[in-house]
Amino acid sequence: MSLTDCKGIMVVIETAGGAAKSVGLEMLTPAKEIANAKNTDVTAVMIGEGLDDAAKQAASYGADKIITVDNNDLKAYSEKHSAVLTSLIEKYKPETVLIGATQNGKDIAPIVAGKLGLGCVTDVVAMKLDANGKIVFTCPLYGGNILADETIETVPQIATVRGGAFKKGEADGTKSPEEIIIAEDMPCGDIKTVIKEAVKEISEAVNLEDAQVIVSGGRGMGSAENFKLVEELAQVLGGVVGATRAPVEDGWISRAHQIGQSGKIVAPKLYIACGISGATQHVTGMIGSDYIVAINKDEDAPIFDIANVGIVGNVMQVIPAMIEEIKKIKA
Amino acid sequence: MEILVCVKQVPDDSQKVVLNGSGQPAIDKITPVANAFDTYALEMAARFKEANGGTITVVSVGSEDNKTSLKNCLAVGADKAYVVTDAAFDGSDALSTAYILSKTVEKIEAVDNVKFDIIFCGKESTDYTTALVGPELAQKLGAGVVTCVTELKLNADKLEAKQETEDGYNIIETSMPAVVTITKPNYDPRYPTMKSKMAARKKEIPAFTAADLGTDASMVGAANSVVKTISLSEPPKKQAGIKINEKTFEETFAKAMAVMTEAKIF
Repeated sequence: MSLTDCKGIMVVIETAGGAAKSVGLEMLTPAKEIANAKNTDVTAVMIGEGLDDAAKQAASYGADKIITVDNNDLKAYSEKHSAVLTSLIEKYKPETVLIGATQNGKDIAPIVAGKLGLGCVTDVVAMKLDANGKIVFTCPLYGGNILADETIETVPQIATVRGGAFKKGEADGTKSPEEIIIAEDMPCGDIKTVIKEAVKEISEAVNLEDAQVIVSGGRGMGSAENFKLVEELAQVLGGVVGATRAPVEDGWISRAHQIGQSGKIVAPKLYIACGISGATQHVTGMIGSDYIVAINKDEDAPIFDIANVGIVGNVMQVIPAMIEEIKKIKA
Repeated sequence: MEILVCVKQVPDDSQKVVLNGSGQPAIDKITPVANAFDTYALEMAARFKEANGGTITVVSVGSEDNKTSLKNCLAVGADKAYVVTDAAFDGSDALSTAYILSKTVEKIEAVDNVKFDIIFCGKESTDYTTALVGPELAQKLGAGVVTCVTELKLNADKLEAKQETEDGYNIIETSMPAVVTITKPNYDPRYPTMKSKMAARKKEIPAFTAADLGTDASMVGAANSVVKTISLSEPPKKQAGIKINEKTFEETFAKAMAVMTEAKIF
């Protein structure tokens, strides 16, 4: 593919249960800004089954064109999705491909990048144009303690974008895209992997990425029973429950709640860390929070270095008292 | 089964990395270790070998220093180790590293007269966390790839991988050769014993250079990498917070509530 051939921004929108995932719609915001500045357009791509509603969503959030590849074979994410996306990139020649940095997004991006020999950056948290109209991607390194501004020399170029890094625009249901391309099937080529079984273990919807308030518990909560206090505090605050690795491994709470290096990356307005020491592996996942409250009996716990308010005390005393006070405030 | 485990040496991820005076990551005083996800990969490879037989080779691209991490790998399950080191490789990005690793696979296969069935990588490294190299290596090799694996079994002539997903898991079957990228399983890597450490110390770790691998000079190193780092910065510092530790719980709590109410966080 030569430089002059490729133009526009392709935003790959992942769907779940027929609806667009949040990060997909969020990416349309920077994509439109960049496309406007470069006088080009934004194409939303959806690969799956039953995509009509998600296509409408993409249109209402401003995609100029929409491509759907909609068939039963593509219902669940698999290697076929990477084959389809590869074919779409070869056919439609975008200059930039943005993909949500979900687990599937981080699976498909390097496969496609490797197949086509394209440069790829991961977990983008900001984008801007340089003087030459190249996109500068900001990516976190070393657990988010350092930010790297990076550019990519290949065209097309691929970036996975972190959920919550950009704000969704205003939906406008009256908008219709310039063009809708429904590609029923794309060649998948040689497929090497087969999903034999897909098991859903986590039935509850745990949406940590979009949460405004998160109350998290660590090893310092002591037991599964004590951990319920974390859940209760989250409930009074209308927040979502988070956890470090220890409570997950000890079975106090499901893996869907884990925040940090092997869990989710979150950025709520309020983060309350209960009995969490503040190991970098956890802090990596929550350092982007606006306001951090830490409760820990060890006054030297590193979590206090990043907390707006550090409460040195026993979680079993502090949390119940907080629950009572907040109930009064909310009453 | 011929097994290769790719290991990156990274600064200990329990230490916070900041920028030094010249704007580069201050990592010279942080202990270099094998990337955590690569240690999980090696442990899974060791268990796979215990179940199915075979040989485990570990390889690391970097400096001569990486031998330290490789020695540790030899003490916890690896049979052989190679280090790939050449100034020409410095600053290679993920795509370039995947290329170097693909040439390394060819080289080891030729030298040891083997064909790798499974290549294990960590799902990402704890320093750059791009999660790109494993799947990109698979494309270079034309191999199948399964990411975020927590269990691996042999099923006749195929591999059966348990892949962690956001709401559960998939059981994925792949032909071999295959690249698997490993995430944290529900066990920890084994510790070396006195005996295994001694044995590891005695083992030679041969080094390969760019010339040994026959890499194309226009595809490696910082200058030929397609992802360019323009600048590094530290995220804006959090405003210094306050730590409340009064004489009694009541005093501490009252003060904390006052601060939080003032900040209108509830």
